[in-house]
Amino acid sequence: MARIELQQVAKSWREVVAVEPTDLVIEDGEFVAILGPSGCGKSTMLFMLAGIYAPTAGEIRFDGHVVNAVEARDRNVGIVFQSYALYPHMTVARNIGFPLKFKGVKADEAARRVIEVAQLVHVEELLDRLPAEMSGGQQQRVALARALVKEPQLLLLDEPLSNLDATLRLTMRAEIRRLQRRLGVTTILVTHDQIEATTMADRVVCMSKGRIEQIGTADALYRRPDKLFVASFIGAPPINLLDGRAADGRLRVGELTLGASGISGEVVLGIRPEHLGLTAPGRGLAGRILTVEPLGRETLYEVATPLGSLRVLEAGSERRWQEGDAAGGTVADEALLIFDKSSERRLESASLALAEAA
Amino acid sequence: MSATLPSLQRARPASGRGQADWDALARAGSRRRAIGQGLLMAFLVTVSVPILLPYFWMFTISVSARTGGVESAVLWRSIGILVPAVLALGFLNLLTEPGIRRLYAAAGIVVVAGTTLAWAIGPDLHLQNWAFLRDPNFVENLSGRGAGTVEAQFPSVWTAFGNSLMLAGVQTFLVLSVATLAGYYLSRFDFQGRASFLQALLVLHAFPAMTLIIPIFLLMHWTGLLDTITGVILVIATLELPFAVFIMKGFFDAVPWDIEMQALVDGASRRRAFLEVVFPQVKVGLLAVGVFSFIRGWEEYVFVRTLLFDKQNWTMSLYIFWVSDDIMGVDYGVVAAVGVFYVAPSILLYVFCQKYLVQMSLGGIKG
Repeated sequence: MARIELQQVAKSWREVVAVEPTDLVIEDGEFVAILGPSGCGKSTMLFMLAGIYAPTAGEIRFDGHVVNAVEARDRNVGIVFQSYALYPHMTVARNIGFPLKFKGVKADEAARRVIEVAQLVHVEELLDRLPAEMSGGQQQRVALARALVKEPQLLLLDEPLSNLDATLRLTMRAEIRRLQRRLGVTTILVTHDQIEATTMADRVVCMSKGRIEQIGTADALYRRPDKLFVASFIGAPPINLLDGRAADGRLRVGELTLGASGISGEVVLGIRPEHLGLTAPGRGLAGRILTVEPLGRETLYEVATPLGSLRVLEAGSERRWQEGDAAGGTVADEALLIFDKSSERRLESASLALAEAA
Repeated sequence: MSATLPSLQRARPASGRGQADWDALARAGSRRRAIGQGLLMAFLVTVSVPILLPYFWMFTISVSARTGGVESAVLWRSIGILVPAVLALGFLNLLTEPGIRRLYAAAGIVVVAGTTLAWAIGPDLHLQNWAFLRDPNFVENLSGRGAGTVEAQFPSVWTAFGNSLMLAGVQTFLVLSVATLAGYYLSRFDFQGRASFLQALLVLHAFPAMTLIIPIFLLMHWTGLLDTITGVILVIATLELPFAVFIMKGFFDAVPWDIEMQALVDGASRRRAFLEVVFPQVKVGLLAVGVFSFIRGWEEYVFVRTLLFDKQNWTMSLYIFWVSDDIMGVDYGVVAAVGVFYVAPSILLYVFCQKYLVQMSLGGIKG
């Protein structure tokens, strides 16, 4: 178990910057998810922690010791790849036992530990199989067992669930979480799936273009995104973003005027779909239903309004509106997010009032 | 609704009739399938005749030709018996269900064909042409032949066989070791001039080696490797390498990075990750390149002809050349027998490694 520190860690390939200088502290036993779209540098970050890539600048510390020059094989890190990366020519038992070969573990001790960890992830029945003879879920478990068998001080998961089908993903999510709690191993999960990140991790690190945009709990990232990117990346269905202009205590967004204080200039107004509502036509924003998507517990409407097309999420599964219906749009004001257009930062001082809603 | 109802009613009798027709359709289907299979078989038999016939002819000559003469009667007689037998077995396989009866029928065909064959060509078979296997001076001892050659004109065929084996084997070993390491490095490491190196490999492969024969001769002369098997091994291995490196690179490219990184994180050094994780994934490629290199060395003629003089250094290709050249008037029986002896290892190698060789082209394309 280890406390991981990144201090101004950066990585570039010749001129291409993959990770900009980054600071990050991960506490001992913590489960942290690095969330971002593909190409944001999250996997590079993971490989630097694993010791596969050497950082171009900065220091990586495990429990206070700088490990930049420590080779991957000596870092005592376990890793699970998206592809599982099982050794195709080895049986499950040999796959799981592979890391022990290099630690000088005696044969009988190694065999015992392989069985132990196989039981932990429920693959003890499969020890004689080859990877090609197993389902994706089973391969995933074997990969997890192989990462855990050497009792790593840091567990790295690189998109471990994205090759699984939806139901299995749900099970594995809970199972990995349970295992991590039980073993208390410091864990870093890299994913582009926000649900994975927010459900499994204690803290979420949101990355984009090689930079950390925000670090926080899932709830903080959702309710109080620091940046426009975080607001737009997190949340499904995605947030509605509208360009507006603030001046003289008013915020104009198209034909909508809001009372606003503490802001001026070009801004972006963010409204989560669940903070919008639909009422009878003639009240609120004049709208027309474009599409209806029943999601089970909720129903998502796409509504054409004078402000552009907006996503509206209503609780309940019944279709209150049909495609083509006219409807009025309403806004719950306390949940509006205001971002400065040029810096893309959230303006915390802003306060809005819907008093003058059209 | 009114528009759709009549059509539904019309559809009902049609579907009723359709049900009655299923059996007829099934019969037509299996008939068509049988005809198709029959045509395919006939086609395959036809095109394989010109491929197999020369080998078969060589074999029949080697076991039937008398000194001085060539006759094709044995060939035609045996073909006249074997082709119908093979066709009969094929149709039997196609038209009957598997089971004990089919087995009996097949055994019957084999027995009939075998007996007819023994009766038709049995008296003509003999092993005189194979005397070269025991007796280096077989030419002088051939009955009815004037001794057109002096004693010990030929080395033992086993010397030539051993030389060929050594040439092909050592050459293959060299090619495999270098191609594996070079292919891995080219696939995994980035270095200055990597792209141009790869292009150079292709150009070298396309380069006609024959144009180098005089420089190579001089080079061998100056380095003292002329008239040594070592020299020829080095030359052929060098000429083989560009293509082999390229193919091996293709196979390494197909091994995912992930498992190599995984091995490193699991505690392996770069060398052990290569040996224990990457290398086993390219065994098929290694086998394919190995077989091709071996056969290339085994069949080599031009360079051994140019660079080797001493008859103790003869390879099989030189041996068969001198056998056909040095006997006053070609003795086709002996040439055919030596030919069968020469070609047998290649054919065996191909037969056993066939399925791996097919994969080589796949691995190559991936590169």
